[in-house]
Amino acid sequence: MARRMSRRRFMVLATNVAGAGITLLIAAPIVGEVLQPIFTRRAHPWVRVGDITQVPVGLPTAYVVQMPTTQAWKVPPVARIVYVVKLNVGSAVQVLPLSNVCTHMQCDVHWDQNLQQFLCPCHGGLYSITGVNVGGPPPRPLFRYRHKLVGETLYVRDQLTEA
Amino acid sequence: MSVEPRRSKLVARLTHPVARPLASVYRWVDERMGISDLVYKALYEAVPRRGAWTYTLGSVTLIIIALQIVTGMFLLWSYVPSTTEAWLSLNYLAHHNEFGAIVRGMHLWGAYVLLLVIGLHMVRTFVSGSYKKPRELNWITGVILFLLVLALGITGAMLPWDQAAFWTTVVTTHVLSYVPLLGHWLQEVWRGGNQVGPVTLTRTFAIHIWLLPALLVPLIGLHIYLLRRHGEHGSWVNYRNDPEESERERADRVLRAEPPYPAVPSDPAYSVPDDLDEFFPSQVGKDAIVSFVAVLIIFVMAVVVGSPLEAPANAASLTYVPTPEWFFLPLDQLLVQFPQAWMIPVGVFIIPGLASTLLIMVPFLDRSPDREPWKRPQLMVPALFTLLFLIFEALLGVNRLFNL
Repeated sequence: MARRMSRRRFMVLATNVAGAGITLLIAAPIVGEVLQPIFTRRAHPWVRVGDITQVPVGLPTAYVVQMPTTQAWKVPPVARIVYVVKLNVGSAVQVLPLSNVCTHMQCDVHWDQNLQQFLCPCHGGLYSITGVNVGGPPPRPLFRYRHKLVGETLYVRDQLTEA
Repeated sequence: MSVEPRRSKLVARLTHPVARPLASVYRWVDERMGISDLVYKALYEAVPRRGAWTYTLGSVTLIIIALQIVTGMFLLWSYVPSTTEAWLSLNYLAHHNEFGAIVRGMHLWGAYVLLLVIGLHMVRTFVSGSYKKPRELNWITGVILFLLVLALGITGAMLPWDQAAFWTTVVTTHVLSYVPLLGHWLQEVWRGGNQVGPVTLTRTFAIHIWLLPALLVPLIGLHIYLLRRHGEHGSWVNYRNDPEESERERADRVLRAEPPYPAVPSDPAYSVPDDLDEFFPSQVGKDAIVSFVAVLIIFVMAVVVGSPLEAPANAASLTYVPTPEWFFLPLDQLLVQFPQAWMIPVGVFIIPGLASTLLIMVPFLDRSPDREPWKRPQLMVPALFTLLFLIFEALLGVNRLFNL
C-alpha cells in the first residue's frame, strides 16, 4: 500500500467489515432454512383409490383417498378427494382421475348435479365433466392425477398433470 | 407557572401520597435512574384542547395492541402449533378452560375492534389534514402499521386449523403463486412444500407471533416518536391563523408556550396552535375513558359471543363453503371480478398494490397548505368514493357467499 492507513481509518474499516461478517454469518443459515422447501425433492408413492367398477359412465364419483404427507415429519395421512370420471370415447370407456382442487385459489370443487358441472364454492368457478374450465375465475382446467389401473382398481400418485 | 415548580409538584405528587416509607426508596432509585425526568417528559406536554376526543383513537389503538400482545402471550400457554394438535388444543380450551376461552375471545375481538379503531384513526387523520408537512412520515409509518395489522389478522385467522383457518391458509398462500416469475417459489417457501401441511402451520405461526410483531413494535415506537416530535396539533381546528398576527408574534407564542410545544416549527402557519391543554391529565384521562370502553366492548364480546371453532380442517370436503374474514371481503370480491389468466394478478396484486401505494403517497398527492376538508375536495371526494367502493364490494361478497 502506497499510503499508510491511519489507525482511525483502520478501525472504521474494521467496524464495517466485522459488521458485515456478523450479519452474513447469522443470515446465511436463516436464508437456507427458509428456502429449504424449494430445493427438497419429495417422494410420490402410489396410493390405492379403490375399485372403480361401480362408477357409472357420465357421473363423476368422489373417492376419499388417504394421501401420505411427504412434506414433513411423519404425520397421519390427509384425506383428499379424487373424482373418477368415466366417459364413452367411441366404443371404449375412458377413465379420468380428476383432482377436485380448483385451479383458481385451490378450494375444493364438487360435482353439481343440477348444473352438470363442477362448482367451486369460493369464487364460483365452473368446470365441465372433463375438467375444462368453462366459467368463473379459474385460469386452467382441473388437474389430473398420475394414475394406473390394475384390473378395475385405480391407483394415483400425489402428482398432478395438466389435462 | 414556570417549568421547575410544576415539575417538582409532579414529582411530589408521584411520590408523596403513596406511602411515606416508599418515598425514600423512590428517591434512591430516581437519583440513579432518573424516572421522574422520564415521567415528566412523557406527561408534561402541550396538546390541543379542541378535537381532543378524536385524538384518543391513537391511544386506543396502542392499548388494544398491548391487549393483543398480552392475550397472545397467554394463548401460547394453551395452543399447540401442529396440524394434528392445534384444533384439539383449542377445542380443549373451549370446553375445559372457561377463562382461557375468554382470553382467546378477547384476542379475536381485540383484532376486530383494533381494525375498526385503526380505520377511524386513519379517517380522522385524513379528514383533518394532519398528514401535511412536517407530519408526512407519521402518516406513512401509520399506513405501514395498518398493513402489518392486516397481515397479523390474516395469519392469526390461519392458526386454529379448523375448516375456516385451513381454507384461509389455502387461499392466502395460493394468492402468492400469482406473483409473476417468483410466485411458485414464494408459495413453496410459505407452505414449506407445494401443499398446505404441517410446515405451513409452523411457518404461519412463527410469522404471526414473532416476525410481524418484531416489525410492528419498533414501528409503533417510531410512530409515537414522530408524534411527540411534531406535536398532536396537526388539524386545522387547532389554529386561529389570524392574518393580523405577524410571524414574529407567532414565534414569540412558541417561546412562551406553557407547557412547551414539542413542535418543530417548519410550517409557520401550522406550528403554533392556540387553545392548549396539558397532556396529563386532560388528554390521558380522555384516552383512558375511551380505551376502557373499547376494552369493555372486547371483553363483553369475548364472553357473550366468544371465538368460534369450526370442524377440524378437512382437505376432502364437498359441502363446506369457505368464507373470508370480514376485513378481507373486498379483496375476496376482487378475486371473483378479475377472472382467468392475466386478469387474476391484476385483481390480486395490481389493484390492492396501487391502492396501498396511493394511500402511502397521500401526503405527496396533497401538498397544498390547506387543511380544512372542504378546501381539499380533490382528495376528499375520491377518498369518499373509495370508502363507499370498499363497503359496496364487501356487501357484494356477503351477498354472493350467502346466496350460494
